Amino acid sequence: MYRPSAVPWSPGAPLGQHLEERGVSRRDFLTFCTEMCAVLGVAQTMIPRVAQALQDIRRPSVIWLQLQECTGCVESVLRTAEPTIGDLVLDVVSLDYNHTLMAGAGHAVEQALQDAMNANKGKYVLVVTGSVPLSEGGIYTMIGGRTAETILREAAAGAAAVVAVGACAHFGSVQSARPNPTGAVGVRDIVKDKPVLVVAGCPPIGDVVTASLVHYLTFGRLPEADSEGRPLFAYGKRIHDQCPRRAHFDAGQYVEVFDDEAARKGWCLYQVGCKGPATFSPCPIFQWNTRTSWPIGAGHPCIGCTERNFWDTMSPFYGRLPGVSGFGIEQKVDAIGAGLAAGALAGIAVHATATVYHQIKRRKATGELPEEASHG
Amino acid sequence: MTAPTQPRAPHWWQVRARSEVPGARGKFTWVYLWGAPLRAMHWVAAVCLIALAGTGLYIGDPYFSTGGEASQHYLMGRMRFLHFVAAAIIVMTGIVRVYWLFVGNKFERWPALFPITGKNLRHVVAMVRSYARMTPEQQPHFVGHNPLAQWAYTAVYVAMAIMVLTGFALYGQSNPGGMIYVLFNWVNAAVGGLQNARLLHHVFMWFFFIFVPVHIYLAVRSDYIERGGIVSSILTGGRFIPSDESFEDYEATRAVTSEWPAAGHPEQRP
Repeated sequence: MYRPSAVPWSPGAPLGQHLEERGVSRRDFLTFCTEMCAVLGVAQTMIPRVAQALQDIRRPSVIWLQLQECTGCVESVLRTAEPTIGDLVLDVVSLDYNHTLMAGAGHAVEQALQDAMNANKGKYVLVVTGSVPLSEGGIYTMIGGRTAETILREAAAGAAAVVAVGACAHFGSVQSARPNPTGAVGVRDIVKDKPVLVVAGCPPIGDVVTASLVHYLTFGRLPEADSEGRPLFAYGKRIHDQCPRRAHFDAGQYVEVFDDEAARKGWCLYQVGCKGPATFSPCPIFQWNTRTSWPIGAGHPCIGCTERNFWDTMSPFYGRLPGVSGFGIEQKVDAIGAGLAAGALAGIAVHATATVYHQIKRRKATGELPEEASHG
Repeated sequence: MTAPTQPRAPHWWQVRARSEVPGARGKFTWVYLWGAPLRAMHWVAAVCLIALAGTGLYIGDPYFSTGGEASQHYLMGRMRFLHFVAAAIIVMTGIVRVYWLFVGNKFERWPALFPITGKNLRHVVAMVRSYARMTPEQQPHFVGHNPLAQWAYTAVYVAMAIMVLTGFALYGQSNPGGMIYVLFNWVNAAVGGLQNARLLHHVFMWFFFIFVPVHIYLAVRSDYIERGGIVSSILTGGRFIPSDESFEDYEATRAVTSEWPAAGHPEQRP
């Protein structure tokens, strides 16, 4: 659809002009604005305002910090086989400082980061992927000789808005799973003095980042968020309540093992551990890779990656309930429960037998029962 | 035509009237313990518990699937509907029970739920000892619940509260921002996430699976040994006590009466 262009977005030029230079027609641009309005859940009458706000913006400075992470979020958000206008917007706004994309290296780019922060103090958008390790003075992630915490605090101090992208920036993701050796935490655990928008997921969906930025550029503030800081337009509903396989859940039609007849028919993945009922995410609607597919659509249960501490609380990924550890062995809660219930029943049987035996003896002693009970 | 047989001693299982047997004590008194609302709550909750456990087991682990097209079935939907209806009813009985904690008689009021005095705690030990040693004649006598039983029932109320809280916390998720979500979502945060709430809801189901058989057994056992009609007290509201017996939670002098059935609550008698 759209190819990366040799024409850079020149400073001072509005976005509308830049998109025109890259071959985006007015019709395509308005289609994109309509899509964004649908995603954000704002009224159709807002489309002209969104279009106006977008086409008038001058290139905003976006600083993209990559801390303790795997770069998967950047790959997911910025790379698609067939870039949409949304990808272009992301592409063009995220050029100031991004480890994966920038061509420079060494002291020069660290100086460029300082320059960008000083030049746009209080005006730039700070995007963060990756967690912040705090153990042992934060030595587990050092960039240019400074800890991730120092870099984040400095960058957040001058930011107009902070967007935490991905599960690492959300709560620490896999590196914060028990026992969390590096003491990894999310952005909201460090930046407490200004609102942080959390685009949750491992990795998150690029459209959510785009739509959040569009909202910020149009209305001048971050979209409404839940208690985790996740924008409600995207994370306001459970996967379970938007799932195309929901009819099979309600009907009582479940995949028992992968590759059974039910799996081929596309039945509900509840029995193989789907965490859709516990996960708030727009995956069924937005999908991935230019709306090609998504985990449940491909026959794999949801692992709940948009929820806090999902590596600990959502595992085992192929079981309904968390495992229970105790007595030195991993036991399923049902095995323990059934064992205790069976023990109680056995205890009742033994106790009842003993009670009847003693009571008969006692009643014989009081003469209530004949001394020699006849059984014939 | 056979010759009439010699009268013989009754078999050990054959019934004899208590007055005929040596050692039978004289007068029995009927005491009124459980008010009608409490008895109604007990049975409504019992029926609801059976419905909740049956449907809850299916919701937690659907033990069979339906065939054909999804449009032809609504099995899980119906299970969940029944679960939610039974839950709503049991919550209502819980609300009435809380009200009754303040207006019930002394066996039903909230101080009765917490037998924490040293004497009561010693009675707990005595009850455990008598159950373990098969010595019912040594156990302390109570007209109402003995302290061990009372602690078990108090634990049931606590377990029920946990089930209600985690249940509503899970139920609210289908409508974020709705009333149930707003009122109960804090529970999920308190227990460390939705999956933990789900686990707790599941674990406490096993508490009831263990409690119910033990409860039925000990009630029937007590009736079998004491012959006071304790099982029927949850239907009729009262039980028989020997008039010459003294009780830890009941004044014997006031219990001795020739009235039958006794009128009104034990406390209200002269």
